[in-house]
Amino acid sequence: MSPVSTSYWGIPGYAIFWVLFVIAFGLFAQRLYFLFRLMRLGKQENRFDRIGQRIKTMLVEVVPQWCNLKSVTRKDLAGIGHALLFWGFSLFLISYIIFIGLAGGFGISPVIKDTTFEMVYFSILDIAGVLVSVALIWAAIRRYVMRPQRLEPTAEAAIILVLVFFLMVLNVSVVGFGYAAHNVHTSWPPLGAALAGFLSGTSLSQGTLEAVYRGMWWLHYMVILGFMVYIPRSKHLHILLSPVNVFFKTLGPKMVLEPIPLEEQASYGVAKIQDYTWKDLLDLYSCAVCGRCHANCPAQLSGKSLSPREVILNLKEHLLEEGPGLLAAKAEVSSESKSKTMIGDVVTEEEVWACTTCGACQEVCPVDIEHVRKIIDLRRNLVLTQSKMSESTQLMLKNMQSRGHPWAGVQSLRLRGDWTSGLELKILTEGVNADTLFWVGCTGALVERNVSATLSLTRVLKAAGVDFGVLGDAETCCGDPARRAGHEFQFQILAEQNIEIFKSHAVKEIITSCPHCYNTIKNEYPRYGGDFKVVHYTQLIADLIRQGKLKLNSGLNSIITYHDPCYLGRYNSVYLEPRRILRAIPKTKIREMERSRSKSLCCGGGGGHMWIEEQPGTTKINQMRLEDVLKTRAETVVTTCPYCLQMFEESIEHKGIKDSLKARDLVELVEAAMKKS
Amino acid sequence: MDSHKGVLVCGEIVEGKLAPITIELLGVGRKLANELGEDLSTLLMGSKIGGLGQEAIAYGADKVYVAEDGLLDNYNSDAYTQVAANLCLKVLPSIMLLGHTDVGCDLAPRLNGRLGGGLAMDCLALSVDPVTKLLVSTRPVFGGNAHAQMVSRSARPQMATLRPKVVPPAERNDSRQGEVIPVEGKIDPSALKVRVVERIKEEVEGVKLEDAEVVISGGRGIGSAQNFGMLRELARVLGGAVGATRPACDEGWAPMTLQVGQTGKVVSPKLYIAVALSGAIQHIAGCLGSKYIVAINKDSEANIFSVAHFGIVADYKEVLPALTAKFKELLSA
Amino acid sequence: MNTIVCVKQVLDPEIPPAKFKIDAEAKKVIPPPGVPPVISVFDERAVEAACRLKDKHGGKITVISMGPGKVADVVKHAISMGADEGFVLQDEAFEGLDSFGTAYVLGKAIQKIGGYDLVLCGRQSADWGSGQVGSILAEILGIPVVTLACDIEAADKKLKIKRIVKDGYEVVEAPIPSLVTVSSELGLPRLPAGMRLMIAARKQIPVWKAQDIGAEPSQLDKAKAHTEVTSLSVPTRKTECEIITGNTPSEAAANLASKLVKLM
Repeated sequence: MSPVSTSYWGIPGYAIFWVLFVIAFGLFAQRLYFLFRLMRLGKQENRFDRIGQRIKTMLVEVVPQWCNLKSVTRKDLAGIGHALLFWGFSLFLISYIIFIGLAGGFGISPVIKDTTFEMVYFSILDIAGVLVSVALIWAAIRRYVMRPQRLEPTAEAAIILVLVFFLMVLNVSVVGFGYAAHNVHTSWPPLGAALAGFLSGTSLSQGTLEAVYRGMWWLHYMVILGFMVYIPRSKHLHILLSPVNVFFKTLGPKMVLEPIPLEEQASYGVAKIQDYTWKDLLDLYSCAVCGRCHANCPAQLSGKSLSPREVILNLKEHLLEEGPGLLAAKAEVSSESKSKTMIGDVVTEEEVWACTTCGACQEVCPVDIEHVRKIIDLRRNLVLTQSKMSESTQLMLKNMQSRGHPWAGVQSLRLRGDWTSGLELKILTEGVNADTLFWVGCTGALVERNVSATLSLTRVLKAAGVDFGVLGDAETCCGDPARRAGHEFQFQILAEQNIEIFKSHAVKEIITSCPHCYNTIKNEYPRYGGDFKVVHYTQLIADLIRQGKLKLNSGLNSIITYHDPCYLGRYNSVYLEPRRILRAIPKTKIREMERSRSKSLCCGGGGGHMWIEEQPGTTKINQMRLEDVLKTRAETVVTTCPYCLQMFEESIEHKGIKDSLKARDLVELVEAAMKKS
Repeated sequence: MDSHKGVLVCGEIVEGKLAPITIELLGVGRKLANELGEDLSTLLMGSKIGGLGQEAIAYGADKVYVAEDGLLDNYNSDAYTQVAANLCLKVLPSIMLLGHTDVGCDLAPRLNGRLGGGLAMDCLALSVDPVTKLLVSTRPVFGGNAHAQMVSRSARPQMATLRPKVVPPAERNDSRQGEVIPVEGKIDPSALKVRVVERIKEEVEGVKLEDAEVVISGGRGIGSAQNFGMLRELARVLGGAVGATRPACDEGWAPMTLQVGQTGKVVSPKLYIAVALSGAIQHIAGCLGSKYIVAINKDSEANIFSVAHFGIVADYKEVLPALTAKFKELLSA
Repeated sequence: MNTIVCVKQVLDPEIPPAKFKIDAEAKKVIPPPGVPPVISVFDERAVEAACRLKDKHGGKITVISMGPGKVADVVKHAISMGADEGFVLQDEAFEGLDSFGTAYVLGKAIQKIGGYDLVLCGRQSADWGSGQVGSILAEILGIPVVTLACDIEAADKKLKIKRIVKDGYEVVEAPIPSLVTVSSELGLPRLPAGMRLMIAARKQIPVWKAQDIGAEPSQLDKAKAHTEVTSLSVPTRKTECEIITGNTPSEAAANLASKLVKLM
């Protein structure tokens, strides 16, 4: 007899069952509704496009737990543990619905009880329960004994571990006591049957066993209900919302910034929590506090105060604090926060500026939180509304406005078009068009070390017979530094200008040497009406080698390691082509760094940081990355981004190892390899 | 034009003495007056002139106009303009010279505006054209990238402000004879619209930039206010002063009063060490008068090397400590 | 506090010195191709001073610029910083005017605009650097002038201005209206905040010709110029720089020190 179908002190079990359920569910739903209303305080955003693709993505990421397995490394196998937990607990969840909900609450127990289905399912549950318990114990040891940097030994985490473990114990106990109480002799499910066997062997009476069975059954039920009430009030909200968050993720590139609509407002960017969109607020709920973002953030690793995890959690806390007041005031004008300023108290200005937008946080986040754009939105407010930024940032942005490039001061040394002097190039002036444009970028045209790489690429392209034009001194910045520094309007003006220029010369394809230009023109210009085919030179050269149009005969005789630039790798998934090129060069030994490809550590130059000075920390980001290079004992560090190249040159000089380690742009190696040996 | 005759030098009095620029002006003014065959006069304004009139005569003036008034105690734009303009309208000089100092930069344009003359500022050379007998002023333009020669064909007086330390000072001859003429007329207080409320002296520790024999300047490449300490250390060892370029001052690494350049201070020490600065023309304009220019910069293409006599292409952080140490060693020996 | 700011468009001062070329015959500078002109450095500070006053006291900022070609760009630059409106003074008769002629034209425009509490100019232009237009303009308008300002404040219907002097600073009090010339010590000019870049880009800048401001031809007669340029040349600097070397930078430094001590 199901414990629900009996009466207790005159009250029918069903009544107790359902009253408890309604209370728990009520509390559960009330909290969810509150969170939903808070989320609705955020601005509009359309994430309802391509529903089919969204569903598919959600299922692919969540069900096979790719969200966690993607960030498993030799040192951090926790993703496997979570996958076990997830699959195991999913089975339990189904069992709760069937065996407690339907069987108990809806009274179909007689139909299911003692069936093969029940036996098989309970047996699976036993195995699942063991796996889950092992995972929980492993998790507990990691969090409280081994204490890796990314996991905090909080009370909240302990409660969850204990509760779920308790559920595993209760599950077996309920089955065991149930069988023992009803004299069921069976060998399946193994644990339950073993317990039943043991209990039968004791001197406990049938009545006691039955009472304990019922007590355990109700206890089990109430812990489950308690868990349901606790979920939306703890970080375990992610159980419900992370699949939802995955559903609403950006399809395509992970790090996407939204343009600011062209209308005059009192405040631009984000200054109050409700300035974020509903998706941003949903992100805050979805955080499982796994700390992977914290452990992979180059700013955090080099000792700055910025931690992506803390940003998300602080914003979430701020939302929950401000929320009730904002909801109450919604009918009237939203009130100024009297207690805390978001930029300053909740997220400090230091944290806002420390980000290099490398995207490591978003790459490892299992629930697809978008950290980068939240920080950029804060920068937008600082720059556009409060006019608060460091002098070096202001100088860079001023130079963008007056001279169309960020390299303030460099113009005293060379002008934009100087790199073309003495070369036979098709310069796109009025009336001169070209199908293919080689977009050089500001750094490649203006900074001495990078001009060498530009010249190298020009020679390689010509040798391969590529027909291309250049803009010469008519080329201005793609706008990336302005956008990452938060000056969205400066970016928009440059973007529109450049698109105009491309169209006026009937350009169809654009070759870039800088991944920032590549990312900006390829992924961001379409929003402003500029849709062109954009390739990074590594894609082009890899293809030319494959076609046989480029022959690399001359061996390099060097041990090299390749540094994946953030904006080429994580932002655009271009990992293979540079490696294909390197493998095509004879006599090179390639040693990969531990942190390579999507786990590549930022050089420190992105997010405007070629100009925004690095904050004091325990070390500098580029010096940290140099250590990664040195671990490989390579003689040459190769990269495909002008910022990365600058950063390596600087760190090599700082360490005084210019004689033992060379920094090169990949195209320089290609050119060297093309020479007849 | 013919009604205008003579050269008038508008002198400056600093701490009760004739300013060095005034003595330089008297030197070049005497030359110009001789070439024109006309008189050289000087206007001295202050509250207590004393024997400075005689001194100006010793330096070459034929006439010295002395305006003594309490309102002229410290430089006051409205008062000085009023007195100088009134005198000019009485004396009608053909040429009027001032120093390119903070006084001259304020007074000369105002006088020019009031008198309707022709003014060339920050002159590097003054001469008289032998044919036209016009004052030819040579001045830097476009940040010092070019030199222009200017004349005023018909406007009078022909005015110029002269850059300090580009001409030699006048020779003193105490036996020279001349006239000291007190300026008549009281200053009209109602015409004094601008009132000086406060004067704030910027305390500079050590040697003053303009007077130093050794100047060590830092630019954008220095990187921080803290790093300027390395320059101060070297300055201390060499008994010199620290300067800075405009970008370094803009960044807040050095006070604006240490800015060397076209619109900052113009210095001409024996030794000028330019550290981590690119050598933009506007800065070079402020130090070209130095005897020896040394450049320390890690960019071999930096423009500073085109005007320097000696240079080291390296990161200043690796050069300065060793430089300071070696100087210390050699100078204490 | 209504201000009128005079701005000039000049050749970009930040170019490699080797690119600076002149036409000695025409006594003009040949701008290097592909380098857009910019707002004169000191005039930009003057706009910044006006914006700071507007931040504190409200009012309207009007910007005027005299010159050929696309001088509207510098007016728009000022608007992007915070100016409310601007006018371009463009006429063949305005080309090649000296400081007096320039001040006259600016004065006529300012008198046409009227209603000002403060006129702001840069202390000198970043190209020819004559440094007089402000003072002559004040004389024409009949208002007091304060030069070399590094800070401007307004209180009790007066202006409190901090000036650069030889050994430090001087604070003066001037009545309203006055004209103030601004020096670079005022500080970094602001970035366009909010949508000001867009607003400025879209703004239509009216062009005033000589007859629009009542400029008399007799005042614009170049034959009656107060100053003229008789020659323009590029001074040649002949210094051979001796690069001091060493096995390490420290060694080079030591070599340099020894050499200099021997010389001095």
